[in-house]
Order: sequence, then C-alpha cells, then structure tokens
Amino acid sequence: MDLVRHLECFVAVAEESHFGRAAARLGMAQPPLSQRIQRLERHLGVRLFERTSRQVALTEPGALLLAEAREVLARSEAFMATARRIRDGETGLLRAALPPDLSGETVAALLAGFTGAGTSGLELELHELSTAQQLERFAAHELDVGLIHHPCDVSGLELGPVLRRELGVLLPRQAAAGLDEVPLASLTGRDLILFPRAGAPAVYDDLLTTCARNGYTPPAVRHAQGASFVRGLVLSTEAVALSPRDTHGLAQEDAAPERGVVWRPLTGAPLALRHSVAWPAGRGDAAVSAFAEAAAHALRSTAGAAPDLPSRPLHLRPASEYWL
Amino acid sequence: MTDALDRIHAAFADAGVTGRLHALDIDSGAQLDAGADQPVCTASVHKLCLLVTLHEQAAAGLLDLTEQVECPPESRTTGPTGLAAMLDGARLSLRDLAYLMMSVSDNAAADLLLARVGLDAVNRTTARLGLTRTYAVHTFGELLATIKEDAGPGGARSLADPHVVARLRALDPARTNHSTPRDMTRLLAAVWRDEACIPEHGAAIRRILGLQVWPHRLASGFPFDDVHVAGKTGSLPTVRNEVGVVEYPDGGRYAVAVFTRTARTSALQPAADAVIGTAARLAVDALRAPQAGPRGTEPGR
Repeated sequence: MDLVRHLECFVAVAEESHFGRAAARLGMAQPPLSQRIQRLERHLGVRLFERTSRQVALTEPGALLLAEAREVLARSEAFMATARRIRDGETGLLRAALPPDLSGETVAALLAGFTGAGTSGLELELHELSTAQQLERFAAHELDVGLIHHPCDVSGLELGPVLRRELGVLLPRQAAAGLDEVPLASLTGRDLILFPRAGAPAVYDDLLTTCARNGYTPPAVRHAQGASFVRGLVLSTEAVALSPRDTHGLAQEDAAPERGVVWRPLTGAPLALRHSVAWPAGRGDAAVSAFAEAAAHALRSTAGAAPDLPSRPLHLRPASEYWL
Repeated sequence: MTDALDRIHAAFADAGVTGRLHALDIDSGAQLDAGADQPVCTASVHKLCLLVTLHEQAAAGLLDLTEQVECPPESRTTGPTGLAAMLDGARLSLRDLAYLMMSVSDNAAADLLLARVGLDAVNRTTARLGLTRTYAVHTFGELLATIKEDAGPGGARSLADPHVVARLRALDPARTNHSTPRDMTRLLAAVWRDEACIPEHGAAIRRILGLQVWPHRLASGFPFDDVHVAGKTGSLPTVRNEVGVVEYPDGGRYAVAVFTRTARTSALQPAADAVIGTAARLAVDALRAPQAGPRGTEPGR
C-alpha cells in the first residue's frame, strides 16, 4: 500500500470534515477516496473517522494520528525536495532572503558559514527582503528559506530558534552627554525614526507599544530605513532612532566621531528585534538546515544575538475569554 | 462590492490581522464574501451552537429551561468571568446558565450546559441546520486543557513564543471546534428567521445574544443609538472572533461573521478587537448601498 498517498487522503478528509470537499481538493472522485480511507483504517486496525449522513469527524485515535500523519507527509516532501536537488546536481538552487537591518559583517559571516557547510554544488540566490515580503514569497512558493522578524503570522511555516538582538538608541551627541545608557522615558518630546510599518507591521506595533509602556510616546514617527538617511535625520531634526548595536554601533561612532550621532544602550534593555530562520512547513531539507545553522551562528557571533526568553508577566483580562 | 472588499482587506492589514468575513442580508440574501469558506477555529463562538441546541431540546420537550442545576465550586471549567470566576456553590436554571454563557462567555456555565445536552446533540443540531463545515470535537474545558498542555511549563507567558503559538492544537481548525464564516451567518439567519427554532425560542435566543456585555468588537463598528447589535465573541491566543446580527430601524438586518488571527502574540490588542467592528461596518454599508440590490421590505422581528 502507498502509505504516503493514503495519509494525504486521511489529512485532507480530516481538514475538510467532508469527503466531497476532500476529494475535490485532492483532484479525485469521492468513491476511490472513501475506499482509500477504509483501506487505511483496515491496514492500521484503527477507526479514523465517525461518519454520519452529513459529516465526518475525527475519532479520538484519528486525532492522535493526525499530527503524526502530517509529520510523515512533511518528511516525505522534504525527502523529495532533497532528491530533486541531488538529481539537479549543479543547478540546485536555494532561494534565500535576509532582512535589510543586518550588518555587512553578519551577512558575510552567514555566507562564509553556509559555503563551508558542505553545500558545494548548491547555488545560493540571496535577496534582501522585509518580513512582509518574505511571507508573501513563501506563500507564492518563490522563496525556500529566510530570516524573519517576530512577531508575524507564522502559520504554514517552520521556525529555527528565536534569537534576540537588543536595540539601543541613536541620538545627537549633545543629547547623550554624560549618559552611558539611556532610559526610554528620557527621550520624551523627541520624534522617533522607524522603518516603514508595511515592512513588518506587527514588529512596528510591538516596538511602539513597548516604548509607550516604558514612558516614551513620540510626538511623531518619521519613516526611514537607510543608515545614512537615518543618521541625517537624527542630526538635522533632533529625532532619535532605534538600532541594534552591531549595525549602528560603537565601531562606526569611533570611526567617525565628528558626525555627531552616538549610539547608547537603553536602560533595562526593554526593546529587541527577534529573529528566526523560517521555511515553508515540510520543505526543510539539508540545504535549508545549513542556511538556518549558518544564520544562527552568524547572528550569535557578529550581532550578539542571544536566545529569546519570555520574561514579562502576562495579565489576562476578562475579555480574553480564557484563563491558563 | 469589490471596493468594499478592498477596504475590508486593507482594514484587516492595517490592524495587523488576517481576517475572514461573511456578511449576509438576512432578507434579500445579498452577501459579501471575504474568505467566507475558510475553515476557522470557533473558540467561544461555538457557544452559539450550544445555545441553539439547548432551545431546540426545550422546544422538543426534552428539557425544561427553568430546570435547576447544581453548580458546585469544585471542578468548574476555568475562565475569567461568570461562574468560572465565582468562588461558592450556586444553583441556577438552565436558561440563566445560558445567559451567563452568552453575556460574559462563562466557560463553566457552558460546560454545565454541555454536560446536560451532550456534544453529539450540538453536532446534530448544526448538521440539521445544514452547517456542514461546523463541528465541535471537545468541550470548553477540554479546549483550554489543550492550550495548557501545548503551552508547557512556561504557562501563559510562553504564549509570546512563536514556536508555542505554531504548535497550539487550539489554533488548528482540523483539531479543535471549527466552522466557516458562511456557516455562522447561515446559523444566525436561521435564528432571526425563526427557522432554527419555533418563534418563542427564537425570540429567547435573540434576546440573550443582545445581552452580551462586550463593546469592543462588532458593536464598536456601529456607534448608533438606533441600531441594535447582538452577537457572540470568541477568543484564544492570537484569535479574535465575533458573529452577530446588526438591525437597522428601517428593517434591514444583517448577519455578520468575522474571524481573525493576529500576527502579534500580545494578549491586549485594542486595534485588532476594533477592526472586527470596522470590517463589519464596511460590509453592512456595502449591503445597504443602493447597488446591492433591493432589500426585503419585510419589517424586522
């Protein structure tokens, strides 16, 4: 019996709760689909579905087996993807993406780590894309792996470990005088320079919420992304910008002290960028793993990224409708 | 209509949610579909199916809505409202339990009612009403237990972790109580047209749906004193839903079902709650616009 094909039928019927719709989704007729499910049930010796005249519902054993069935299908897809790459040999291509906020050093370390990981014969096609753009390309099957910002909608994706890059603040030199670190609340009255919201709306909203929580609600938010443009705005408008140490950090400041823009850590490290490598569920093969490992290693070694640990208390309010 | 759809999708995107919506003019049948057939997790919206089942059984003489139920404080399903949050034993009628279940989404009241009518009866009722894509696989207590189990030792805090959110069974329509926006507007239309129950019971269901206390979702889109909103919310980590009926004084009545998922994992997201009202309003305005076709002239209930 073709187990993979039968499991595809099982998962489709479970997800659609309906033989007709599952058959349509699988591009087959309903009678052979019902036969396959019956054959699978006989083969396993387990009843997977309760059938009534209108509905099919998973039995309890069926629900237990569903997660495993998805796992088998995901592994089988990954197996086929690897086989395709091996078959395609020299023309094997990994389409990967990085966000625009990494330092050149991190990108270089990632590439060095990836090419040193026994991925010879594999071509890496690297794009600079925001999280929103990466999610779109994942959905369109145009991207194999990418480094994304959290939070974002992770449905249909598998994730590597989440790493946290602490954010500090870029501010005019005179504003930082005498301060080794800057409390967020002391930025009151200054405009904030932030990336355009469309690039990662959830991250944008989270950053502004955390600023507000720590006593800093900027009078206005100005949108800018390029490092030079951001520095120019800080210098000319007295606004401040958020930035990880590694991209706008002390190295650059030391190299060009006359520029008048300095970077300081924020007191209590309330803000961070959270990253993980992501790939479409079931599509993780050796090349994707090599990229994920190289990215995590590069972030840890060049950008001071550390594992992300949930630490804030959570007070659910009655409208949450659930309680843990 | 396409203009309204574009604006609805833009509103969802602006609020940081993925949204599915179906809106139906109960009398003309005109409708607006923004992902109306996508499978969605119902969460507490499924309490509406339970309420209809309860009244169906009462209408059939299987139970008496004034029947008293002992509600001991031990082993109550957890929750932040109603009996789930109360400390002492109580004795309530079935219909007052239903009131708590719908007005404040009381999980303990809901499971006491489920224990009385049975999960199978709820699924038989939804099937009888033609809701072929609606199914309850567990009680509310069992649903919450999956979240607790999947969240692991970190408890509620770990719900900010993308890995935890990705593995919650409660957020996978195939493994939890589920429906579609279109099935839910079909159910609401049946209740409002007295096709789900005889008129006496239909009126009781409509009354109780109008007593929901939450102002932040569907109702927030209709800040008009002369417009009546009745509904039921549903919430889980990253999930915000509401289904309900909006009635205008000219007789226009519209069933709307909105199911959303937020990208952010924070528990408090007022903009994500409010966009349910915003999207519903855009949909109802589109259905009320002259080009939507003639509306039924039959007056409201």
